[in-house]
Amino acid sequence: MDSAEVEFLAEKELVTIIPNFSLDKIYLIGGDLGPFNPGLPVEVPLWLAINLKQRQKCRLVPPEWMDVEKLEMMRDHERKEETFTPMPSPYYVELTKLLLNHASDNIPKADEIRTLIKDVWDTRIAKLRVSADRFVRQQESHAKLDNLTLMEINTSGAFLTQVLNHMYKLRTNLQPPGGAQSQDF
Amino acid sequence: MPATQKPMRYGHTEGHTDVCFDDSGRILRVHGEKNGKLVTAVSNNTIQVHTFPEGVPDGILTRFTTNANHVIFNGDGTKIAAGSSDFLVKVVDVMDCSQQKMFRGHDAPVLSLSFDPKDIFLASASCDGSVKVWQISDQTCAVSWPLLQKCNDVINATSICRLAWQPRSGKTLNIVTWSPCGQYLAAGSINGLIIVWNVETKDCMESRVEKDYSDLFDGDDRSNAGDFLNDNAVEMRSFSKGIINDEEDDDDLMLASDVTMLKNSSSLLKEEEEDDQAGGIQNLPLLTSQKPFYNGPMPTPRQKPFQSGSTPLHLTHRFMVWNSIGIIRCYNDEQDNAIDVEFHDTSIHHATHLSNTLNYTVADLSHEAILLACESTDELASKLHCLHFSSWDSSKEWIVDMPQNEDIEAICLGQGWAAAATSTLLLRLFTIGGVQKEVFSLPGPVVSMAGHGEQLVIIYHRGTGFDGDQCLGAQLLELGKKKKQILHGDPLPLTRKSYLVWVGFSAEGKINSFIKIKDIFSRRKLFHYFNCTPCYVDSEGIVRMLNRGLGNTWTPICNTREHCKGKSDHYWVVGIHEKPQQLRCIPCKGSRFPPTLPRPAIAVLSFKLPYCQTATEKGQMEEQYWRSVMFHNYLDYLAKNGYAYEESTKNQAIKEQQELLMKMLALSCKLEREFRCVELANLMTQNAVNLAIKYASRSRRLILAQRLSELAVEKAAELAATQAEEEEEEEEDFRKKLNAGYSNTATEWSQPRLGNQAEEDTEDSGEADDIEEKPETHNHGQNSFFKNANSSDVLAIKSGAVTSSNQGRINPFKASAASFFQKGASKADKTEEVKEENSENSSSETPPVCPQNTENQRPKTGFQMWLEENRSNILSDNPDFSDEADIIKEGMVRFRVLSTEERKAWAAKAKGETVSDGAEAKKRKRVVDRSRETENQTEKAKENLNLPKKQKPLDLSTNQKLSAFAFKQE
Repeated sequence: MDSAEVEFLAEKELVTIIPNFSLDKIYLIGGDLGPFNPGLPVEVPLWLAINLKQRQKCRLVPPEWMDVEKLEMMRDHERKEETFTPMPSPYYVELTKLLLNHASDNIPKADEIRTLIKDVWDTRIAKLRVSADRFVRQQESHAKLDNLTLMEINTSGAFLTQVLNHMYKLRTNLQPPGGAQSQDF
Repeated sequence: MPATQKPMRYGHTEGHTDVCFDDSGRILRVHGEKNGKLVTAVSNNTIQVHTFPEGVPDGILTRFTTNANHVIFNGDGTKIAAGSSDFLVKVVDVMDCSQQKMFRGHDAPVLSLSFDPKDIFLASASCDGSVKVWQISDQTCAVSWPLLQKCNDVINATSICRLAWQPRSGKTLNIVTWSPCGQYLAAGSINGLIIVWNVETKDCMESRVEKDYSDLFDGDDRSNAGDFLNDNAVEMRSFSKGIINDEEDDDDLMLASDVTMLKNSSSLLKEEEEDDQAGGIQNLPLLTSQKPFYNGPMPTPRQKPFQSGSTPLHLTHRFMVWNSIGIIRCYNDEQDNAIDVEFHDTSIHHATHLSNTLNYTVADLSHEAILLACESTDELASKLHCLHFSSWDSSKEWIVDMPQNEDIEAICLGQGWAAAATSTLLLRLFTIGGVQKEVFSLPGPVVSMAGHGEQLVIIYHRGTGFDGDQCLGAQLLELGKKKKQILHGDPLPLTRKSYLVWVGFSAEGKINSFIKIKDIFSRRKLFHYFNCTPCYVDSEGIVRMLNRGLGNTWTPICNTREHCKGKSDHYWVVGIHEKPQQLRCIPCKGSRFPPTLPRPAIAVLSFKLPYCQTATEKGQMEEQYWRSVMFHNYLDYLAKNGYAYEESTKNQAIKEQQELLMKMLALSCKLEREFRCVELANLMTQNAVNLAIKYASRSRRLILAQRLSELAVEKAAELAATQAEEEEEEEEDFRKKLNAGYSNTATEWSQPRLGNQAEEDTEDSGEADDIEEKPETHNHGQNSFFKNANSSDVLAIKSGAVTSSNQGRINPFKASAASFFQKGASKADKTEEVKEENSENSSSETPPVCPQNTENQRPKTGFQMWLEENRSNILSDNPDFSDEADIIKEGMVRFRVLSTEERKAWAAKAKGETVSDGAEAKKRKRVVDRSRETENQTEKAKENLNLPKKQKPLDLSTNQKLSAFAFKQE
């Protein structure tokens, strides 16, 4: 799975928009959306929200957690804790990135939020690296990772498993099962 | 030199000092001016000297660790004293800043200082609530009085607490000021009382109550209340005899103190100086005697006029309007004085930015125009400015000046008109293009107005309220073709001790769903938020709506405070919608209104009528039922005013209501409340009553079923009576049409209740045929509803009977009930017909139609036809049968014995008869013969009655559905 796919999944997350047009319910395979009343908040998936925003058909309402104070608290908590803390949304990075890229004018203190999310992300990735490192060093057979989001798993998951495979191969090759086979050449 | 470039707001006599806060309240500047020097205390915690008037910095006198709050010169200008938020007081020599004296002893920021004229003492007041007098020479505290209210910071101090010494003898007073000549003493109290005494004679020179503050500022959110009433700026007058109150001139802080402080300070006087002193003390009784002694209810200050959906005027960034169309914001700060208009629906108009040079204070917004108004200034008259953006010509704005001394206080926009209420109690109407229309007098000072469509609601002061109540009245006018007043200044009910915060019309959520029939003719495209029911909100958060169904009373529909989490949280209402039942408002944490930034988000609340015991199922259903009734009142209003509306809405509402009634009936049945069941059935339509009968008989409540069937018969009779009346009227109408030579097509014959009005319109406007078709279908829809209400009920009786026999239940009582019903129905039919005939006779003088016609009417079902034929058989077999019910019972049994084919044949026969009847009628219709016309008409009427039969399958299915649900309750 690559990050684009993760982002695609994230686009199904519901966000609140305030449309500036009037439209009846729209019926889609994924479910009914709307009705859209000008000035009245309505929940739509992120992909639609961004599409409407790009056409200047709506204003985005930032999710509740996208607030400097809350994020600061979250960041501090994340730094304090040894393990991963639960995130406000399973797609917090993707949502932040997409919303801030397309609708930063509707989000107060967009830059601060971007920095905060980046901080949280860095902290978590660092934690992940450290724990992966320890995992490899101590040659553990299993580890438990709670509260990781899909994007985070995606950054190191594939790589880590591959690495472990390789290492396993290397390690098993270290103990010569077939004697000095290589010496034959 | 930012400090000196700010305009000083007051001119002072020499050596006086003053404090002024800048906007943020964070930086504080204290100015003292003496002997060509200006001393400022600026926010970098220093006291700086400047030359005056050049304003060039001339060195720093002293520093504090925080802001200095007050700086003063002594009498000869050689020293300054400065008090700071770091609890210190310093006395510094102006010429030599190394000569400093520090006074420690206050436990909170120092508020204010005062040198005594002889330079022996220094008085200081502090936030710790004490006033201390220091000996300057040895820096000791001579005396300390705990006089003031304690607070934690200068900003929070209720009083700036300026001190003053009598110029000659040197006495300290707290809230009182000495006149420069030392002869007079002025005191201001927090309730606005200002008294001036002559010190020598101990006489009260003058006293005056400027404003009653204590009444304004009780309650939890004082500042808001104050904001709203806009009364916190007291106008100070300079008194005669050269007395200047330079204490009370700061808007931001309240007046000095209250009477108890005066007492303290006067006792203080006594302590300090014996000679010539009694002045203050003996003046005290005078003071109390000046206050009128009255313990009864106090009049409430009248609330100021306001625009719905606006935030207080004194804010630099405020909402002028937030309504269902858009938002108007006003910025009034140093760089900019501008108005921003934004539309929720950008297809109405794009966002606009206007410069606000005329200082507009009130605004309204509709889908046609932006209306702005400003108050008069010294040079300029009060103006009404309209930006009519939907105009099709190129000039899109107009301005009207009000006559002299007339200020616009409230404005509103409707469809095609604008209104302005002025300070001279006039209401001026304009067209949207700027033509002046009616002018009329208002019964009282306007509070607020709202307009939408053709309706205008004006809220005004009917009189003076007492004990915190407002005394408001409401006028509701319709400004359409037929102008009329609906509410004639009736009292507006408000929660106790509250004031009005919002008034407006409920809006139906969809654009274009209500189009006036006439507008189809003119083919005008309409953006139409149809608004019809006036609503208002008071400061306690109760939303009330006009209940047109109950003689224009006001019903509370929501309590926004119930939804609030905190005590000081409020909901700021921006709109009310009836169709999706929504109350749109903005949640405000800890205030009554939202700030412009960050942009507030709308929340949607649901309505809840204040019914009792809504925790129980019964209470809940009652609330739901009446809410549904309440929120569909507007449909009746629409129908009455010739608006087309979606019939499905109405049907849905009726269905919902009947369902609720049915549920309530089932519940009462379960609770053995049969009387209540009958009461509920009274509210039902004929159709639902049938179901109720069925329900009752199935749950073996025979008495109830009987009662209900009696009720059903009564209802049918009533219905028939009203229907007949209606028909009579329409007949008349119709005849007139005939005489006018209007050619009638077959459909029009059969639908005499088609909107005559519409036809008239078509004729009048001479529109082409294709247009004529449209209203026809429209009318048809509207009309068929009209009729359904009547005919479907008649039909319902029949269908009820039919279903009961078809379902083949062997419940003798039920069968009899059904037939009983049937009788009632046919009776009703008969009376109806007789009436019709009567009306015909009177109008066309034709011989009465033969009674055979009515006879033909009766057999409607196969079973009945069969019964007619076999009645004699039954009677002969059972000679003891005298009761009709018994005969029917027996007949049922026999009929059931018949094979299905036979039964079908009978049913077909019954149907066939009606069909042939109809066909016959059609054939005959072509005949124009006058003598046969009447006959024709009766046939027609008959057809009308038969007509519903064709809809039977549909009706039957809904019936079954309803009954299925009813039985689910069992």
